[in-house]
Amino acid sequence: MDASKLARLEELLPTVEKPARYIGGEMNTQIKQRLQDTATFAFCFPDIYEVAMSHLGMKILYYILNKEPDMLCERVMMPWADMADHLRQERIPLFSLETRTALSDFDVVGFTLQYEMSYTNILEMLDLGGIAVKSVEREEMAPIVIAGGPCAFNPEPLASFIDCFVIGDGETAIVEVTALIKRLRLAGNSRADILLALSQIEGCYVPSLYEVCYKADGRVLSFEPLQAGVPVTVRKRVELDLNAAAFPDEIPVPYTEIVHDRIAIEIMRGCTRGCRFCQAGMLYRPVRERSLETLYSLAERLVKATGYEEMSLSSLSSGDFGQLAELIHGLMDRFAAQRVSVSLPSMRIDSLVKQSLEETREVRKSGLTLAPEAGTQRLRDVINKGVSQADLVRSVTDAFQSGWNTVKLYFMIGLPTETDADLVSIGQTAKAVLDAYYALPKDKRMPGLKITLSASTFVPKAFTPFQWEAQDGIEEMKRKQVLLRDILNMKGVFFSWHEAELSVIEACVARGDRRLGNVIYTAWQRGCRLDGWREHFKYDEWMRAFMANGLDPAFYAHRVRDKEELLPWAFIDAGVTQQYLWLERERAIEGVVTPDCRSGCQGCGLYRFEGACIA
Amino acid sequence: MKMLVVFSQTGGLKYIGHLDLMRAMQRALRRSGLPVKYSQGFNPHIILGFAAPLSVGTEGLREVMEVPLEKEISAQHFLDALNQALPPLIRCVSARQVDDSHPAPMALCVAARFSITPPEERQKLLAAVPGFMERTSIPATRKSKKGMVEIDIRPLIYNLIARDDHLDAVLALAESGTCKPEILIQALGEYAGVSSMRCQIVRTGLLSAQFAPLEDA
Repeated sequence: MDASKLARLEELLPTVEKPARYIGGEMNTQIKQRLQDTATFAFCFPDIYEVAMSHLGMKILYYILNKEPDMLCERVMMPWADMADHLRQERIPLFSLETRTALSDFDVVGFTLQYEMSYTNILEMLDLGGIAVKSVEREEMAPIVIAGGPCAFNPEPLASFIDCFVIGDGETAIVEVTALIKRLRLAGNSRADILLALSQIEGCYVPSLYEVCYKADGRVLSFEPLQAGVPVTVRKRVELDLNAAAFPDEIPVPYTEIVHDRIAIEIMRGCTRGCRFCQAGMLYRPVRERSLETLYSLAERLVKATGYEEMSLSSLSSGDFGQLAELIHGLMDRFAAQRVSVSLPSMRIDSLVKQSLEETREVRKSGLTLAPEAGTQRLRDVINKGVSQADLVRSVTDAFQSGWNTVKLYFMIGLPTETDADLVSIGQTAKAVLDAYYALPKDKRMPGLKITLSASTFVPKAFTPFQWEAQDGIEEMKRKQVLLRDILNMKGVFFSWHEAELSVIEACVARGDRRLGNVIYTAWQRGCRLDGWREHFKYDEWMRAFMANGLDPAFYAHRVRDKEELLPWAFIDAGVTQQYLWLERERAIEGVVTPDCRSGCQGCGLYRFEGACIA
Repeated sequence: MKMLVVFSQTGGLKYIGHLDLMRAMQRALRRSGLPVKYSQGFNPHIILGFAAPLSVGTEGLREVMEVPLEKEISAQHFLDALNQALPPLIRCVSARQVDDSHPAPMALCVAARFSITPPEERQKLLAAVPGFMERTSIPATRKSKKGMVEIDIRPLIYNLIARDDHLDAVLALAESGTCKPEILIQALGEYAGVSSMRCQIVRTGLLSAQFAPLEDA
C-alpha cells in the first residue's frame, strides 16, 4: 500500500469502532521478508477479528506456512461495516494485519469456509482487496483464490468466485498447493496452466474445469469435467497420523478480547458416534488421536510461548478420547502451579466423568454445556444421539453436587419426524434438570441456578444422512419457537432460539448448487454482508436476490430429495459414501440406532482409506 | 518486595483499552517466568497496580505500574526478562525495587504531562494559549455517571505552554479532580475559535506531589 493510503488509514483508525481489530503486532505473529521467490499467502477469515482469532484451523495453517523457508503467510479478516465503508470510500485496499499489504499483492489468497452465512463477506473482502469478485474476470496476474474448510465439501455455491477448492485436511495440502502456484508463476505459466495443474493435486477441485447441466425442474442433470485428465471424483485429503501432522507450538496472542481467548489443543480429530444431523461428525472421519507425549509437549511449549492462563482440549467429542482421565491428570500436574486451567468443551453427556469435572474445576471454574439435541428418546434414536434422560440427570446431578450452578442445554427443533410431543418433552427435560438441582439439600448446592436452554433450527447439511430431507417452512419454525417459549416459561430457565429467516438462507446455501452463486452475488450487490450478525442480516434483500435470479428458496431448503437425485456435491468423495448415508437415512426414519463404530465397523466408507480406522 | 516499573505503550497499541493492556502485561509476566504474586480464589490472576489507565487513542511514554514479587530479584534482571517477553510496542523503560510498604502508584499520582499536537489551524490555537491561561475560570463539560456536568477546568490545568508545533500540558490526574486532554483541547479550541479537531495526544509522564516524576517518589 502506498504511503498516502497508509497515512490516511492511520487517520481513520481512531474514528472506527474497536480499532484494535486492525493493528496487528500481536505476540507470536510472524513478519517474514518478501523475496522474489517467496510464495506469499494471505489467510483470509471471512468474519471479524474476534471470531477469526478464535479459530484453531487458521492458527495451524498460519504456523505451517510460515515455517516453510520460502513461504510467508499473513492474516486478513473481514472488517466491521464502518471500516469496510471507510476503506471503500477512501480507496484503501483491504490489507494484511502483519504488514498492511493489499490483498491483491499476494500470490495466493485462501479463505476458510466455516459457515455458509459468511459467504457474502468473501465477496466483500475480494472486492475491498482489489481482486475481481468473479473468477472469470480475474486478471492474469491476480492472486489465485483458494478455499477450504468444512463448507468446502459443498463448494458449488462459491464456484464462480473461488479458483480452486481444497477438500479435507489442509496441513499437507496447503503447502503443496502454495508451492505449485509459486513454482508455475516463477516459470511464467499462465493462470489457466496453474489451475489445470492444481486440478491434478489430490483434494483439489477447480470448478471452471467442470460443467453442470440442469433439468427443467432445476435438479442437476449432469456434472462433467470439461477436458480429459481432470478427475471425475475429488477425494478429500486425510492426515492419517496426527502425531506427525504439524501443530503450532506458538500462536498469536490477541490484545483485545476475542470469543475463545485461550490455548486450544486439538487432542483428536473425527468422531465415531454418528449423530445423523452432524456434518462435522461425517466430514472429519476417521477418528485420529494425538499421543499423550505429543500433547504434553505441545501444551508445555504453548503455555511458555503465549502466557495464556487457560487451555481447552479441543475435538468433536473430547469424552471419547482414549486416555482422557490420564491426560487431564497429566496436564493438571504440569500446570497447576502456573495457574493454567484446563477446560473440556464438547463433552457428551454419557462420557461426563465426575472426576474430570472436579479436577478441571480445581483451577478455574467454568460453565457446563450439554447437548441432548432432542426431547424424546424416540427422536434421539432418529438422530442417533445415543444419550438418555437418565444420563443427563446423572450428569447434571454430579455437576450440581460439585458446585456448579450454571448449565447450558442445546436442542434442535425441526428435526426429521419431529412432532409437538417431542417439543413438549424438551420442557420436561428442562424440568428434570431443575428437579435434579432442587433435589439436593440447600447446603449441598450453589445458590443461583441458571439453565440456559438454546434451541437452534435444524439445517440439513451435505454429507449427512439428512441431506435429502426438507427443512421446516418458516411459519412452522416460528410456530414451534412460540410453542417452546410458552413451555419453557419456568423460573431459572432462560430460553433462546435462532432467527428462522437466517436458518432458511443457511439451508439454501448449505445445499445450494452452482446457480446459487448468482443469488449470493446479487445479495452482496444489494448490500448483504456480515449476514451472521443480526444487525446486518437483510432477509428481504436475500429474497429479492432469489427473485432476481428466478430461483426459489423452497427448492433448496424445503424440498425432499429422492435417492436417485444427482446431488450437487456428489462428485466429492468425503470418505463416508452416499450409499452409507442413505442407509443411515433409512435407519433414522425407522428409529434404528447405529452403534459407535469403535465397537465394530459399520461400513461408512472410510475403510477404503488405507490405515484410516482405529477399530 | 515490589518492582516499580516504567513502561511505554506506543504505535498501534494506543488503541487497546486498559483491560487489554492489563491482560497483555499479565501474559508477558507469565511468559517471563518472573516470580509474580497471584490473587486467591477460583480465578487467580497476577497482582498488578497501575498508576492511571490510559485513554484509548493516547500513547504513553512513561507509564507506571507496580508488580509485587514472591522473592527478591534485581531490577536489571526484571527489566531484561520482562522486555524479552513483551510484544515490541510495549517496552519496559526502567524498574526499581521498593518495599511492600511503598505507597501504590495510584495513590501517589497527582498529575500527568501531555504533548498535544493539533493537525490544522495550529498557529491560531497555539497563539491563543497565553490569553486562555490568563482566565481565572474556564467552564467545560465533562461526562460523568450522572450525565454531562459543568466543571471549571482552570484550577486543573497546572501548566500549558505553546511550543513550535505542539502544546505541553500538565493536567490534574487525581481522585480529587482530573482534566482529560480532550476536554482541554475542546475548551482551548472554543476559545481560539477553532472548530473541533483530532489532536495527536501523547502522555509523556506521570507526576507525584511537587510535580516530580511518579517513579522517583
